[in-house]
Amino acid sequence: MIRIFGYSLEKKPTTSPIMEFVAVLIALLIAFGVSALLIASAGANVAEAFRSLLRGSFGSRSAIAETIIQGTPLILTGLAVTVAFRGQLWNIGAEGQFFAGAMASYLVATSLPELSRVPMVLTIFLAALIAGGVLGAIPAILKVRFGASEVIVTVMLNFVVLFFLSYLLSGPWQDPMSAFLQTSRITETARVSRIITGTRIHIGIIIALISVVVVWFLLFKTTLGYEIRAYGINPIASKYKGIPPLRTIVLTLAISGAIAALAGAGEVVGLHGRLRLDISTGFGFTGIIVALLGRLHPFLVVAAALFMGALWNGSLAMQITTGVPIALAYVIRGVVLVALLAAETLTHYRIRRVCDE
Amino acid sequence: MTGLPDHARPILQPILQVENLTKRFPSVLALDNVSMDVKRGEIHCLLGENGAGKSTLSETIYGTYLPDSGKIFFRGAPVEIMSPKDAIAAGISIVHQHFVLVPPLTVLENVILGTQKSGLYMDLKYARERLNELSRNYGVALNLDARVWHLSVGEQQWVEIFKALYIGVDLLILDEPTAVLTPQQSERLFSVIKQMRDEGLAIIFITHKLKEVKAVSDRVTVLRKGKKIATVNTKDVSKQELANMMVGRDVVFTIERQDMPPGEVVFEANNLRALNFHGEEGLRGVSFDVREKEVLGLAGVSGNGQKLLFDVIVGQEKPTEGSLKLAGRDITNTTTSKRMKLGLSSIPEDRIKEGLVMDFMVEENLILGFQRREPFAKGKTLVNQKAIRKFSKKSIEDFDIATPSSKQISKKLSGGNLQKLILAREFSQETKFLIAGQPTRGLDVGSTEYVRRRILEQKRKGAGVLLISEDLDEILNLSDRIAVIFKGELMDIIDVNEADIEQLGLLMAGIQKGEEV
Repeated sequence: MIRIFGYSLEKKPTTSPIMEFVAVLIALLIAFGVSALLIASAGANVAEAFRSLLRGSFGSRSAIAETIIQGTPLILTGLAVTVAFRGQLWNIGAEGQFFAGAMASYLVATSLPELSRVPMVLTIFLAALIAGGVLGAIPAILKVRFGASEVIVTVMLNFVVLFFLSYLLSGPWQDPMSAFLQTSRITETARVSRIITGTRIHIGIIIALISVVVVWFLLFKTTLGYEIRAYGINPIASKYKGIPPLRTIVLTLAISGAIAALAGAGEVVGLHGRLRLDISTGFGFTGIIVALLGRLHPFLVVAAALFMGALWNGSLAMQITTGVPIALAYVIRGVVLVALLAAETLTHYRIRRVCDE
Repeated sequence: MTGLPDHARPILQPILQVENLTKRFPSVLALDNVSMDVKRGEIHCLLGENGAGKSTLSETIYGTYLPDSGKIFFRGAPVEIMSPKDAIAAGISIVHQHFVLVPPLTVLENVILGTQKSGLYMDLKYARERLNELSRNYGVALNLDARVWHLSVGEQQWVEIFKALYIGVDLLILDEPTAVLTPQQSERLFSVIKQMRDEGLAIIFITHKLKEVKAVSDRVTVLRKGKKIATVNTKDVSKQELANMMVGRDVVFTIERQDMPPGEVVFEANNLRALNFHGEEGLRGVSFDVREKEVLGLAGVSGNGQKLLFDVIVGQEKPTEGSLKLAGRDITNTTTSKRMKLGLSSIPEDRIKEGLVMDFMVEENLILGFQRREPFAKGKTLVNQKAIRKFSKKSIEDFDIATPSSKQISKKLSGGNLQKLILAREFSQETKFLIAGQPTRGLDVGSTEYVRRRILEQKRKGAGVLLISEDLDEILNLSDRIAVIFKGELMDIIDVNEADIEQLGLLMAGIQKGEEV
């Protein structure tokens, strides 16, 4: 028990779901309050800035479409983090896994150009699943065998993947026609973009929505999901009741990595058609916020992902109309995360006065 | 038993008076308007079940907790005890269940450490003289230069008590001091604290054992669910009356163990050796077998290798040497889940940490470990919700688990109901061998009775049972044979009909039959 100036923080035995919901709302309100202060300090009109933010994210058909496009990879990275966090495994490596998926897609598209569209696309997503799964399994094995913290390993693997990709993009994979660090366009048979006319909405959203159902089914309807959740809440009791740690940890992180990799594949196949370092605006990291905002539930993750997508999209519009830099979107993300963590603590603890004199 | 308390002494002024003390914790009202007093030259028992508020009351007197309302008078004047420091300054000391000693330091250093009044200079010479005087006075031999980690738990308790005496104490609180002692050591403790009482000390003795209340106290205050039930003169009440006050209803004391011819050997441990958490040899060549329809009780003071033995048997720790056999098969190198499939059921010592996923629903916890088995799974991979629901409904009924529904979050259940949940789960398979670690620790009297009955029922059905318990009465009541463990070795295995408490106590202290005490 911590005591400061006659106040103490005590753990509450239980928390009602309503309180948890209210806590999320309050966290979001705080985030927007802080953002308002920042906008004002940047010299812009707060009301106008928020209005353009809203217009930019939901104001028109194309704005909504762009919000969905931004939200698509976030649904997947959010799901990836959800699976891992459910098993109390802190996968901070979704960013690297995203790029592993993107790289696998590019590799398949360029090395098997003779495939027709359906087998091509299927192979691409399969390759992405494998790439992400393998990348996810590495920290799992290191954790079980050597007790290495998965937090450190997953964070570090992000750098490994990103620097390896920069090397590829500045050499072997670089588009010979371009001075930019990017590959050339992949073949048309490897692309599934613009599935709704008049928008850039692509195959990624279908993959994402299927994944939502699959993850929900996995977590709540399969014995493996049961084991992941059991292990996540109480690994000791799980071991005592015969749930094998190695299998559970490896599968959890492999599945998590595979889902994050799907996001990368989706962006390459559906949106960009080529590999660049900026095809992610930090989707892997934002996925952590999405998962927490979605209370680690697959269905809520969709809403959280679309919210974060809207935020990004609206910030773009805000930058154009009011001159508030898009960096603010990063700030809001950060504040949301901190506020969420604080809300999380405060819903599970209570502050009490301890002495009355 | 040593002599009964001497009631002829004049009744003196209360040194401590507690008035209308209330302390609320987040989920419970731990103390509800409790008043009591303790006199100089008296041993005052605080009696109650787990969670009755005994420890909360003593910790509030000691300043660890601040009361929400109520007053404390010490030596007739109101006192504000804001922290243990204030309590010690006033002359109140406590010996906790978990000692606060520094293991690498010597006894002398430990005593000084907690008691240095002020300044940098340590008056070791004075301390040594004073401690020698104390140990002579009470006839307790204490090697002042021994490192504390070399001492037995019983000896460490003496260090704690002497620490209190050294500071100068008028009111000494002992929190379940016999939990770590053999019966003989308990007797010794009783006679010393009686001497302290006769010298004018006031002593609060916390316990849930009726026998101890009768053996040691002058008066007793019974607490139940945070409320004071009564304060009575010990000589005026019977054990049965005390039990009824403590529990709030009539209590049946003993469970009938049935003698029945045991069957085949179902479990065998051969020369087990294993390393404990500290990397020391915690099991040093343990061999025993358990037959069908037989309960083998494992008695011993806590910390003598019982937990390690449990972990080795369920497959959480690997033995460095020796072998295990379950139902005729060598299981030394098999996984926990394989052992479970062979008919091993287990009740872990720490049910919350090792037995349950507290954030899971009741129905989810009821299949923990069995999630991949028919009918709870369809083809190993899919959860069969219907079968689980049906099973949990039946379990809740059969095992009398108090829960509003099978979807209730487990952490809202009481300790007794959690234990019943574990029993329901473990006995859902045909149990060939049951290992039960402290199965009734911390449970109320009703649940204790229930758990014991269910364990004996497994025996009747044909299971072999290894019952690990620190409660000698439990061991004597349930076991057919009794093994005594001391420092990782089995001292002896005796038939319950030939066992007496005196002999078990000696074995628990590591003394073989016929050896010098």
